[in-house]
Amino acid sequence: MTSDRAITLNVLALYALAAVLATAFGAQFILGELPCPLCLLQRIMFALLAIGPILNIRYGPRPSHYALSLLAAIVGAVVSTRQVLLHIMPGDAGYGSTLFGYHFYTLALLAFIAAIALIALVLLFDWQFVTPPASAKAGAFATIAVGLIITLTAGNFASALLECGFKACADDPIAYELMKR
Amino acid sequence: MEFTALFLAITITMLVAWRGPRPLALSLFAVVLIACVATFMHHATDTLKLSF
Repeated sequence: MTSDRAITLNVLALYALAAVLATAFGAQFILGELPCPLCLLQRIMFALLAIGPILNIRYGPRPSHYALSLLAAIVGAVVSTRQVLLHIMPGDAGYGSTLFGYHFYTLALLAFIAAIALIALVLLFDWQFVTPPASAKAGAFATIAVGLIITLTAGNFASALLECGFKACADDPIAYELMKR
Repeated sequence: MEFTALFLAITITMLVAWRGPRPLALSLFAVVLIACVATFMHHATDTLKLSF
């Protein structure tokens, strides 16, 4: 796999991460479900996962950039496993609504495990680290992906500020703290 | 509050990764990752009611 192919895969990874964050926003605003602290931490880990691809797009693929994403995915998997275990008791209805029959934290765990496996697979292709990228400048497709993920992360900052205000977030939030009268 | 700060810190790290110096982006990433783990440990004090 050449450097350019690897960069294209990194751009696609950014779009996938943007889709994950957008879906979480969809559940929050369309279904009116406020994210719990562990849910917010999982969103944070998805956003942190995007730093590696951004660096790969800008500087070309490097093992250290993939390592950043691996670390973020491992912590994300630990966080979502924790939430799965919190609701593992028989009869426990779980937290929030479901998508394709799975709660969002279960889907998050699957996504983090998939990310770990995919990064390991991409790391198998040494040639991407040897060949230089055809162009030093990112194209429009990559620039839009980076802009999208930064905008969604900034949106989550605004949403978390509205939800939690200037104190600790509620364990089971039911209203936006800054919108309370 | 800590989650709001983490989202802000990641947004800044993303902007630095895209436009700023690489060493600063890597350093910011390390700080944010440690802060995330610390936040998780802080919130992981509830009793786990496992079914086995």
